[in-house]
Amino acid sequence: MRMFASLIALAIASPAAAQTLAVTNAEAWTMEGADPVKGATIIIENGRIVSVTAGGAVPAEATVIDAHGKPVTPGLVNGATQIGLVEVAGSPDTRDDASTDDRTPGYDPSRALNGNSTLVSLARADGITRALIYPSPSRHAPTSGEPVFARLRDGVDILDRGGVALYAVIGGGAWDRLGGRAQQWNMLRKLLTDAKRGAAPGPESGNKKKGKRGGDGPGAGGPPGGPPHGGPDATLRDVVAGKLPLAIQTHRESDIRQAAALASDLGIRVIVVGGAQAWRAADVLAAAKVAVILDPQTNLPFNFDQLGARQDNAAILSKAGVQIAIGQAGGAIHANYNAGMGLREGAGIAVANGLPYIEALRAVTVNPLAIWGRGGGTLAPGADADLVVWDGDPLEPSTNAVNVIVEGRQASTRSRQDLLAERYKDVR
Amino acid sequence: MMAKSIRTGAIAAAALLLAMPADAQRAAPLPWQQDPFPSRYQSPKGDDMLLRGATILDGAGGRIDGGDVLIRGGKILMVGQNLANPGVREVDAAGRWITPGVIDVHTHDGTFVLPLTAIDREASDVAETSAPNVADTWVETAVNAQDMGFDRALSNGVTTVQILPGSTPIFAGRSVVVKPVRSPTVWGMKVTGGAQGFKMACGENPKSWGADDDNDGPNSRQGVIAYMRQSFTDAQRYKRAVEQARAGTGVMPPRDLKLEALAGILAGDIRVNLHCYRAGDIAAVLSVAREFGFRIGAIHHATEAYKIPGLLREAGTCAAVWADWWGFKMEAQDAVRAEAPLLEQAGVCVMMHSDSPADGQRLNITAAKAAAAGRRIGIDIPPERMIKWTTSNPARLLGLDKRVGTLAPGYQADVVLWSGNPFSIYTKADLVLIDGAVAWDRSKPPAMPVSDFELGRGADR
Repeated sequence: MRMFASLIALAIASPAAAQTLAVTNAEAWTMEGADPVKGATIIIENGRIVSVTAGGAVPAEATVIDAHGKPVTPGLVNGATQIGLVEVAGSPDTRDDASTDDRTPGYDPSRALNGNSTLVSLARADGITRALIYPSPSRHAPTSGEPVFARLRDGVDILDRGGVALYAVIGGGAWDRLGGRAQQWNMLRKLLTDAKRGAAPGPESGNKKKGKRGGDGPGAGGPPGGPPHGGPDATLRDVVAGKLPLAIQTHRESDIRQAAALASDLGIRVIVVGGAQAWRAADVLAAAKVAVILDPQTNLPFNFDQLGARQDNAAILSKAGVQIAIGQAGGAIHANYNAGMGLREGAGIAVANGLPYIEALRAVTVNPLAIWGRGGGTLAPGADADLVVWDGDPLEPSTNAVNVIVEGRQASTRSRQDLLAERYKDVR
Repeated sequence: MMAKSIRTGAIAAAALLLAMPADAQRAAPLPWQQDPFPSRYQSPKGDDMLLRGATILDGAGGRIDGGDVLIRGGKILMVGQNLANPGVREVDAAGRWITPGVIDVHTHDGTFVLPLTAIDREASDVAETSAPNVADTWVETAVNAQDMGFDRALSNGVTTVQILPGSTPIFAGRSVVVKPVRSPTVWGMKVTGGAQGFKMACGENPKSWGADDDNDGPNSRQGVIAYMRQSFTDAQRYKRAVEQARAGTGVMPPRDLKLEALAGILAGDIRVNLHCYRAGDIAAVLSVAREFGFRIGAIHHATEAYKIPGLLREAGTCAAVWADWWGFKMEAQDAVRAEAPLLEQAGVCVMMHSDSPADGQRLNITAAKAAAAGRRIGIDIPPERMIKWTTSNPARLLGLDKRVGTLAPGYQADVVLWSGNPFSIYTKADLVLIDGAVAWDRSKPPAMPVSDFELGRGADR
């Protein structure tokens, strides 16, 4: 069975991908159980994990990476960032994170992603191989647009799939355009109910975009670029049809409960992004199957909506049965610039505040992929070969990523910072 | 150890001599030496204790495994192994680590107050921004002691912070150094005995302010440096006039609070903290300091200091740096995470700073990131040297290095007992002592020190 899958993969792979990698002496966190496989040999062929076996044999033709007994994890996934859209945050002419066009609703960043950005190469050097890239608020509040998934392979093309959700902001951001939050919720509900009414009889609705958009299967990643998606209207139809999630960036308890109610009332999938006060509504979120993308570093309220922000938010939610992932939406001035380190630091802080270690690893691998409908994020046979060899605990900021493998290929782990530091190393 | 406590005694005696009335006329403080906002901080009653069997990083470069720290009367009495207990509370610190309290030389706590509202966005207390020169301001007159940033800092092992005014003005005014303890006013937190700090800025922030049509100030790098030189030239004249008047050979000029502060810098009585990113900016301000005969205490942010370590070393100027603030503006493009190890290796006095109430809680983690980046290029700094970046080096900048920042006999007992290695993300501050008194104990409720602001707003479950 496994060989069969490999043969198929071989048939469709480009020649450059036709290589075998073997990571030996790995403490392999496959994410299939709570414990790692020690002394593991990980075989990678044609962009897929073939096997993870304790003391497994190494094929003769394989390129060998010795992990020296150190942890190997799936490539980490940032659940909410804007790398690839922002270069110099303080200079608007280097940013592509939002539309200011009044004529079009929302913003689809697919055609703006820049894999050559220095933010991307540093994130990859810190062990990130995939990320959800969200748009900033548009002129059509409360919706911002359609976030995309990025695959941090070498080179400029890092688009994994566009249109993976509809993204809205309630609270901050929508204030200028709509005023108080009751109006923000009214507008969002109207948008969805109108779409639902329009979508119900239409033959064109929903299934226009083929391909697996959900599911956890290893093949869910699809080919690079993915099928073109159908634009904001189609995304909206897919949201009301329950095929794509609606992500709502919001923090206050009253809004978190509104978000859960929206999911139940309309029968749609809702993701809360931010969720500083989500811990106050953990049971409601669990019942409504609303996932939360949060930043466990946060323990100070940037605004009134975030009063009571606490670093055990992740632990409380996880214990209540809420699916969580880590991301840094709307974070501090330098958040996007540390999409890798900040993610790991956040996961570490979550563990320090009560989240079980394996749950923290899930929150930066399988969970964000599942929440955003991509699937994968394990080292199971057949899974996408995105993995990282570390020189220590990946959640410790003192740890370095030694090898980063994306789609079965060793990617660059040299950031521009490494090159600069190297250049001035001997200056006295 | 003995030598150290003798030296501390000698310094105290010398200070006493200086304060004698015999030379009363000369001892009368010059105008810029006066403090119109005296501290009301009172050392708490010390909790004498013997911390037993920890890994000790003394802050000055030393490490003792299985070491003890004896604290009495608010001071550190002894640091060593197998110390005899003179009858004080004994704390089993086996498996845990002890360091001096963390010192953050760059915060805006109390002025960049969270949660941020439209009121503070429109008119922020981070800095007075009506002119490029607001040297007459004292940031302490703006500090809201109810900022919960102080509580977060304390519960994460921070025992001293310098609150600086912001970097929009070129001459931004005086800083204040505080202990992050609960008090109705900043003066109940204010630390005395150090060097009076001052904030200056170069580069993008002041020039961008000047470029705004509503503002009147230089709008280029060269304009900012020229503005500094003209201001110091004016201050030289003012200082000379004041000194001549004091010596009875001239008339006291009309009091000018801005020139007075700048004269204090020229006299070496006020220590400059200079916000600067690019190597050229740093070199330029070091030249200005040399021209006017004063020493800059530290370049803050100092993004490209790693390109010119020799200039900082020669000037005796420290660098206060981040690990991972980079890229967000043009002058931050060349920031490298390995800056602290690069500077340490080049013999520059370097320290971590936060500029943020979030990052200020984890300066040791910032140091850990920097050290990891250093290892990527073959520089390996051990923990006993890394800890200098958050303890004794910042103490030196604040002029408090004979009082805090080091675990040695005679030092004030600002001490943290950590649950583990202080450079690990999983480690927490179990016990934080300020002046030998427990200011934070993780094992005892309330789980957080709570400001008036936070009280009753439902941070509890």
